Amino acid sequence: MDLDKLRKTAAEVVSRDDVKYLIGWRRGTFGYRVAPHFIEDAAGVDELIFSPLCIANLANYLTLTEKLPVPRGQEADTRKVALLVKGCDSRAVAQLIVEKGIKREDVVVIGMPCPGMIDWKLLAERYPETDVAAEIGWKGEDFLLIRGEEEITIPRAEVLAEKCRLCRHPNPVLSDITIGEAVEPWAVAEDSGVAEIEAKEAAERWDYWEEQFSKCIRCYSCRNACPLCYCEDCILDRLDPIWVNRAVNFSENTAFHLARAFHLAGRCVECGECERVCPVGIPLGKLNRKLARTVREEYGFEPGLDPEAEPFQASFKPDDPEEFIL
Amino acid sequence: MTEKPKLGVYVCHCGINISATVDVEAVSDYAQGLPNVVVARNYSYMCSDPGQLLIKDDIKEYGLNRIVVASCSPRMHEPTFRKALQEVGLNPYFLEMANIREQCSWVHQDREEATAKAKNLVAAAVAKVRLLEPLAPREVDAEPAALVIGAGIAGIQASLDIADAGFKVYLVEQSPSVGGRMAQLDKTFPTLDCSACILTPKMVDVANHPNIELLAYSEVEEVSGFVGNFEVKVRRKARYVDVSKCTGCGDCAEACRLANRFPSEFDEGMGKRSAIYLPFPQAVPAKYTIDPEKCLFLTRGRCGKSPKCVDACKPGAIDFEQKDEIVSFKVGAIIVATGFDVFDANKKPEYGYSDYPNVITGLEMERLVSASGPTGGEILVDNGEEKIVPKEIAFIQCVGSRDQSVGNEYCSRVCCMYTAKQAHLIKDKIPDATVKVYYIDVRAFGKGFEEFYDRVRREGIRYVRGNPSEIFKEGNKLVVKVEDTLTATPREDKFDLVVLAVGLTPRSDDRKIIDLLRLSQSPDRFLMEAHPKLRPVDTASDGIFLAGCCQGPKDIPDTVAQAKGAAASAMIPLARGKVAIDAQVAEVIEDTCRGCGFCVSICPYSAIELVTINRMGNMVEVARVNEALCKGCGSCSAGCLSNSIQPRSFRDRQILPQIAALGGIE
Amino acid sequence: MSEQFKPNIVAFLCNWCTYAGADLAGTSRIQYPANVKIIRVMCSGRVNPLYVVNALQQGADGVLISGCHPGDCHYMEGNYYARRRLKLLKELLEFTGVDPRRFNMSWVSASEGHKWKEVVEKAVEDAIAAGPFDQFRRRQIGW
Repeated sequence: MDLDKLRKTAAEVVSRDDVKYLIGWRRGTFGYRVAPHFIEDAAGVDELIFSPLCIANLANYLTLTEKLPVPRGQEADTRKVALLVKGCDSRAVAQLIVEKGIKREDVVVIGMPCPGMIDWKLLAERYPETDVAAEIGWKGEDFLLIRGEEEITIPRAEVLAEKCRLCRHPNPVLSDITIGEAVEPWAVAEDSGVAEIEAKEAAERWDYWEEQFSKCIRCYSCRNACPLCYCEDCILDRLDPIWVNRAVNFSENTAFHLARAFHLAGRCVECGECERVCPVGIPLGKLNRKLARTVREEYGFEPGLDPEAEPFQASFKPDDPEEFIL
Repeated sequence: MTEKPKLGVYVCHCGINISATVDVEAVSDYAQGLPNVVVARNYSYMCSDPGQLLIKDDIKEYGLNRIVVASCSPRMHEPTFRKALQEVGLNPYFLEMANIREQCSWVHQDREEATAKAKNLVAAAVAKVRLLEPLAPREVDAEPAALVIGAGIAGIQASLDIADAGFKVYLVEQSPSVGGRMAQLDKTFPTLDCSACILTPKMVDVANHPNIELLAYSEVEEVSGFVGNFEVKVRRKARYVDVSKCTGCGDCAEACRLANRFPSEFDEGMGKRSAIYLPFPQAVPAKYTIDPEKCLFLTRGRCGKSPKCVDACKPGAIDFEQKDEIVSFKVGAIIVATGFDVFDANKKPEYGYSDYPNVITGLEMERLVSASGPTGGEILVDNGEEKIVPKEIAFIQCVGSRDQSVGNEYCSRVCCMYTAKQAHLIKDKIPDATVKVYYIDVRAFGKGFEEFYDRVRREGIRYVRGNPSEIFKEGNKLVVKVEDTLTATPREDKFDLVVLAVGLTPRSDDRKIIDLLRLSQSPDRFLMEAHPKLRPVDTASDGIFLAGCCQGPKDIPDTVAQAKGAAASAMIPLARGKVAIDAQVAEVIEDTCRGCGFCVSICPYSAIELVTINRMGNMVEVARVNEALCKGCGSCSAGCLSNSIQPRSFRDRQILPQIAALGGIE
Repeated sequence: MSEQFKPNIVAFLCNWCTYAGADLAGTSRIQYPANVKIIRVMCSGRVNPLYVVNALQQGADGVLISGCHPGDCHYMEGNYYARRRLKLLKELLEFTGVDPRRFNMSWVSASEGHKWKEVVEKAVEDAIAAGPFDQFRRRQIGW
């Protein structure tokens, strides 16, 4: 990873008159943590990093930070936003363009071919965080952890994030500037998590998800972290009409999660943010990936690859599957 | 909502149609206990004047502002009750109906279960009606013109009536001439008047009428819009003949290198025509057409040194450069009069239609007895050895009708009578012929039909009750194998000619018109009327009407009557000059709209567009509905992730309470 | 269960085809079980798939959605959208262990009164086999 080139490019981009700021990653406050980094001028690029811990999808900020009310007497800042993206993140950008959440010309996409990210929880389990600053990078197929004097090579399979094991698009699907060489897409692992659930009896599946959904504390992190759950006024928050009661119980939690997953059907780019941020460890990615697979295999469609595509749920083909219809 | 809902619930007995199965008393008692219900009543006929008066009086007396009527289907009486509300100054959309007849009392027998379900349905209606909003019905101008598709007798008659009333008519016919099936007929039953003699003047009238634009040899390509404002595109197929120059002299057809080589469609393939042709002598318009699939020049690019038709045509009307042309216009109403096909006798192989030249269909018989037909009206048949005047003739009834084995359960309504007529005509022309008719039942139900049937029997036509199982050849005779079911005797009768009284079927090319106009089909595959009794010429789509055999088999007087009915109905919006547009259209809640454009992609009517608005200092795009184009289907709404587009009267906030009421957990 | 379980089924029918077909079943006096209760919408395309979730939560043991046959939609395309959306919902429900027999979808035209009866019978039979769906019911909040 050529960090110098990244920082140099970033400095050039943020210096442009038509760019408001650049969103990237920087080292977090402790251990392995990484934080989003908003860079408004060239000075900020020194802290910019790109490491196997930069798993967060920054595309979320395209809709989160934009369109805030403009104070009286001020003009809306309509300059471009520059954004660092991995393959999966770039799909979110493409899907946001499809859904008119952002215009292509309003974003400068800096693409980073992605050799795979680390599941921070797995890493912390094996190599607990300490107050010694840790550097992590790629070493061939594997990862290299440098902590003080220590240099540890961690086999890829040991800590690779699940979404990365299943990743079909490690290279950005769209970018204005690409840093680094395109990576060879790796052999995609079978989605054992989804298959495992599918293999269960209906009642067992119900029990499995009952246990999972019962854990939910309805913090809405999954929704808030999702780059495609961008409605400012989510229907699940509404009081008129009430789709889901606010009470935290299994019934309402289930209705919430079904609605969330359904709303992402044909839209989810499998960036895994929902599951990553869930504080109680609900395997939300499985719900999304199940529907993504249906859409891919039965409709031949993958969202977030083509910014010109017809939105899946807002289009149809006359010969769409209908074997389930009486 | 500022006003507190005050509900009236009215449970109809519908005579005993509802009350025999549903305990209406219990339902109205139950309704009385539902939230916001001020008054609940039951009455023998809510739709009657006194029934409506009951509602109106209560509205005045109790200040009711929402009404639930539990009775028949809203598809039946919603307009009736809306009007009642309006008459006492209540918004007509403050009404919800609970369908406790078609979808409850008529389909269930257990009184307890039916009553429980009726209560449920009333509860759901009560839950919804409280949240209904006042809507204002809107009106838009209607184009004072009509499109008539198909120029058989139905289309001709409908066009003439509308044009005579002073409205513009576009009459589109896909074949080169108007006239349709009736033009092919010789005499008509039971009066025996000459079909051509009564039809031809009308054909000429449609061509000359100042209000009728005749688009023959044309097809409707595209229809959009709605009642009062249909946008139509018609393809005028190239005739390769300049109709302004063609005099109809026929020199071209005589000169054609392929003169009289092709079976004539008009003569059911028994006569011949050239590659350039007039379908029949009385054709209107009397203009020649080049068959692009047959013409040497058009198929091979050359026809001798120069095409003979070009050389023969003195006015110079032949134009091989002619192209199809698209004509666009606007109409307020549409009449579909696309007619029928005759049953394909090959689907009954046991009758040997394709094996024996002297087994023919009823329509072929029409051409054979017609003075304008291929034999000049002389009945001559080929018995496989020679052309003879047949002396022994059989008719077989119900070929392709009343026959589940070919998928046609219906009676074609005309075959019994056309058989009687043709039998009579044969007797007239060949007095020493013996004619037998094999029948299942004789249906002579129309005015003068039974009398005519009696007459032909007195003339010596023999009716044998039995459905022949097979026709085979023996020597130069055809043998009809049949069981006479009146005497229970099997027989094998010999004939020179067998006429299959083929029935009427939906047109094989109906699919195109169905897709174009979103029409429905009945189980028999004919086009479906809006109501079998009370709206027999209407379709489910406002402003689109049916006339003639496209809706089901009919004889000529019934076809003409339906055409006149369709014309009268079609003229309602044209004469009023305005049409009411449903107020139940979609509305965008701009505050929550994310401008994703899903609704724009979804809307089949292109009724939604994205517009830029200023939202707290940011210029953002939001959806906006063009209410004149929106039909209120609500597909946009179910596809909106923030539920920011909502069809009025079918909003989420109106439907979710219905679900809750039916679900039954409070 | 001493008495036979009587499932509660909520149906969403499009105004032009299936609702008319159900009316035709009535006019023809075709008898069928009383468990299915109909909500009329203008088009099957109007049915937000989350209505299904909501109905199951609010007391339905089964949900039925029915519209026009493909190509016959009064609004040209609504049923195609419904088909795509509800297929996804069906997959999701099955994946989360909801008995697939709780959800049925059909095409019933305005002339198919008999088919409507068959569809209702199938939905009822299915919901009986699936049993009451108490696990998912909206709970009353009390404190």
